[in-house]
Order: sequence, then C-alpha cells, then structure tokens
Amino acid sequence: MDERPLPAGPRNRARTAWVLRGLVVVFLGLAAAFLLKIWGQPAPLTPIPLVDRSFLDTATVRRSYADLVAAKEDLSDFDCYGCHEKGKPPVLRYDASHNLIVPPEHSDIVMGHGEHGRNNNCFNCHDETNLTLLQTKDGKALKFQDSPQLCGSCHGPTFEDWEVGAHGRISGYWNRQLGPHKQQQCVNCHNPHSPKFPSRKPAPGPHLLRPPFALPTQTADAN
Amino acid sequence: MNRRSFLRTSAVLASGLAALAASLSPLRDLGDYTTLDRFVQKYYKELTPEEMDKVLKRIAADVERDYGIRPHVRDLKPMDGVQFVYALNLTRCIGCRKCVHACVNENNQSRTPEIQYIRVLRMPNGSLDIDKADHNYAPESVPEKGHFYMPVQCQQCKNPPCVKVCPVHATWQETDGITVIDYDWCIGCRYCEAACPYWARRFNFTKPQIPRERLNPEMAYLGNRPRRQGVMEKCHFCIQRTRAGRYPACVEVCPAGARKFGNVLDPNSEVSYILRTKRVFIQLKEELGTSPRFFYYFDV
Repeated sequence: MDERPLPAGPRNRARTAWVLRGLVVVFLGLAAAFLLKIWGQPAPLTPIPLVDRSFLDTATVRRSYADLVAAKEDLSDFDCYGCHEKGKPPVLRYDASHNLIVPPEHSDIVMGHGEHGRNNNCFNCHDETNLTLLQTKDGKALKFQDSPQLCGSCHGPTFEDWEVGAHGRISGYWNRQLGPHKQQQCVNCHNPHSPKFPSRKPAPGPHLLRPPFALPTQTADAN
Repeated sequence: MNRRSFLRTSAVLASGLAALAASLSPLRDLGDYTTLDRFVQKYYKELTPEEMDKVLKRIAADVERDYGIRPHVRDLKPMDGVQFVYALNLTRCIGCRKCVHACVNENNQSRTPEIQYIRVLRMPNGSLDIDKADHNYAPESVPEKGHFYMPVQCQQCKNPPCVKVCPVHATWQETDGITVIDYDWCIGCRYCEAACPYWARRFNFTKPQIPRERLNPEMAYLGNRPRRQGVMEKCHFCIQRTRAGRYPACVEVCPAGARKFGNVLDPNSEVSYILRTKRVFIQLKEELGTSPRFFYYFDV
C-alpha cells in the first residue's frame, strides 16, 4: 500500500467542509437561541411617577386687584363702603406694645410689612379719607390698579429694577417686535400686608434609582 | 457533480443561509436606532432647504406614528444681532424646582428613565463650595433657613469644551450662542459628557419614554424633538421658543422671578441691565476659561 498522505488539494477541501459544517451548527444554535429567547428579555423599567401638574403651572403666587377686575370676578372684598361710613376715617387701635389690633372683620390680614413692625399703620398706604384709594407717603392718591407706584415710593431701587424687567416675573416674548410680553405687578407675588415671598413645597428631586444608603451610625463608645 | 453531492451541498447551503438569517434576526429591532432615511441623511449644515423640509416631514411622521400626535416641527435659524444671555438671581431663587419640571415638560425629556437638564444645588449660606452642595434635598417647604439654592444647567459656554471633543461635529455653537446637538448625527460616544465641567449633558441609555399626554408638539430640529436611544441631549435655551422670540419655559415658570433671559446685544434688555448694574459675581467655574453665557448674580 502506498502510505503517502493525501495530496494538499483534497486535504484542504476536506478541512473546509468540516469548518463549514461547524459554522452551520453554530449558526443553527444561535438561531435557536434567539428564537427561543433563552437569554430572556431585559426587565422593563419601573415607571417613575409623573410630576404633579401643579408644579408646571405658570400662574403667579397670588392675584392682583387688576387681575380680578380684568377677569370680572367678585370684588366685594374691595367694597370698603359696604361696611365703613363715608367721610369718617376708621380709628386704628393698638395694644400696649404698640402693635396694631387687626379688627375681626379683617382677620384675613396678617400685618407683617417690615421686619420691625414699624409699618403697622394702615394709612401709610391706604387713604383714610377715601378707602377705595391708596396714598403714597407724600400724600399722592393712587388707584388700586396702580399699586406699583405706591410700592416704588418707598422701594425705589427695586422699583427701578422692576420697570426694566430685572425684578419680578415676565412672560411672553423677549423680542418685543415679535409679540407681547406680560410683566407681573408687585402684588402678584407679594402680599402687601406681609410681603415676604411665601415658602412652598418643593417639587420632587431627581429620582434615586435605589434608596440612599444609610451611613453606618457611629456610637459614642465605638472606639 | 453527481446527484448525491449536489443534494448534500444544496441542503447544507440552504440550512446555513436560513441559520444565518435567523441569527441576524435581532437586527430587525435596528429600526429603533435608525431607518434608511435617517442613515443616509446628510450633515445638518449641508442640508439644503428642500432636504430639510423632507427631514422635518420624516420627523413629524415618526412622532405621529409613535405618539399619535401631529407635531409642528421647525428648523429655526439664529436671528441676526442676537446673542442670548441668561442671568439667575441667587438672592431670589427659593429652590422650588419648578424650573426643572417645566423644562422636562417643554423639552420632551424621557420620564422613565428620568432625564432632567436643570439640577438645583442647595448650599449652606456663606460659601460657594460645590463640594457641600446637595441636589436631593426634600424638605417640607423651601426656602430653608441657612441655605441658598443654585440651579445649574448648560452654561452655553463661549468656549465650549464639549464641542471641542466631539469626534463627529455633532455638537457646535451657533451664532446666537446656543450650543446645539444634531441628534441624528450624534454617535453616542459620550465624550462631551465627560468634557463638560458643569455636568450639563445627559445620555439616553434606553429608549426615552414620554407619556402621550405630556408630549409638547411644538418642536424644533435642534431642540425638543423626541430623541432616540444612544444620543446625548442637554439644555438648548428652549430653542423652539427663544428663536421664535419667546422666553424659555424655565423663565416663565419661576415663581420668584429669579430667572432672566434676553439678548445681550440689545442695551434695553433685562440681561443687559443686569450685567451693567447688578453684582454679577460669577460665572460658574470661571477659572476654567469656558466663559459661560449663564451668569449668577445677587440683588443689593
């Protein structure tokens, strides 16, 4: 018998055939695996609760007299002479430490304008001879709609900022040629009787994918 | 070739091809990543107006298919003589995070997983040490005593590090100062995310999920059109609003009026006035030379 190995040509062909068969098996295996989804599907993410729509609201903190007039709403709160008598300035009463006693009819008013309670005279701003008007320090009468002028008579720098739009809220168009813009008045954000901007509940922070890890608490005798 | 070897060869060949096709079947899901139209789409700056029209129609059709809402998609160009600047009043910010969510709502960010462009840092009074900042604060009410709040978002740098590192020029600075991203050109390498010193860039690790009822249909190509998995996104000063002349959503929602926006080339704008007269004390991480267009200032 001739013991010489097969010539190079047929030997390579045989190897190629084996490799091809092997590849077919691998692909068939992969195909079966994909079709049967043996690696499983990725677990769907737990939906993060949507933020409450109140946090998306662009409304101001409060509504001004001008807003109420524009919206044709109930103005009975501003009907001073429904209770007061015309031509008779209301008398203010103070307690022993010179704090204004707010009468029960006005119990919704919290007097907190100024940090030292020195601005507790109603007639610093209201006109005592005509309660439907306001008055500045130097006696200029103003309508309720024009209250920014009154605020500006004491808060000059802030008023200047407000006039150019650097203080307070603006919405609409920054480009005045392309559309209107709306500037809010002082009283849309500040309650004139207690002007400090109210605190509020914050919107939810970034969602934590896992609960925050509690740091190991150190006890006093830990060392 | 005899009959036997023919049959054997063709059987092997057929089953091999079938197996190959089946094993490539996961590629059927590729449609979520790209379509042929999107794949052959040209670079944003090379698109002719007619081609852009086609692209916008394609985007509108995609949105309508996915959300059932016909959007109004535009490609808004920068205006002449406009350089946007943002000013944020740290004296006024109360940390209520309304800006964060107004932004998400306006710009169609993914709700699950959550993507937010604005991060509100709470810091103790008397320092501006970002190491002491916390953005997970959750008190009953804000502002809290002894703290101040500093919202951070894309600073729209004049010298943006994120643009420099992008290997495919998918992000660039426009003439009005907004650094934009072409979501169809981004390859998702996240280099820009690493380069940004403000942590302003966000990556879509999975397909973004936006509930239909919260989708904002007023869209822009470089702005708030829905993104796909594997692309970066970030604050773009609400390009779909500001290039149409409107204020950004975060400005309009801020209850305290702490956020100011406008054209710094207009001497009568709020931001010009603020930069002229207020104590504009920082650009965040000023020492890096990024020269942000986002200024923080104080009253008084």
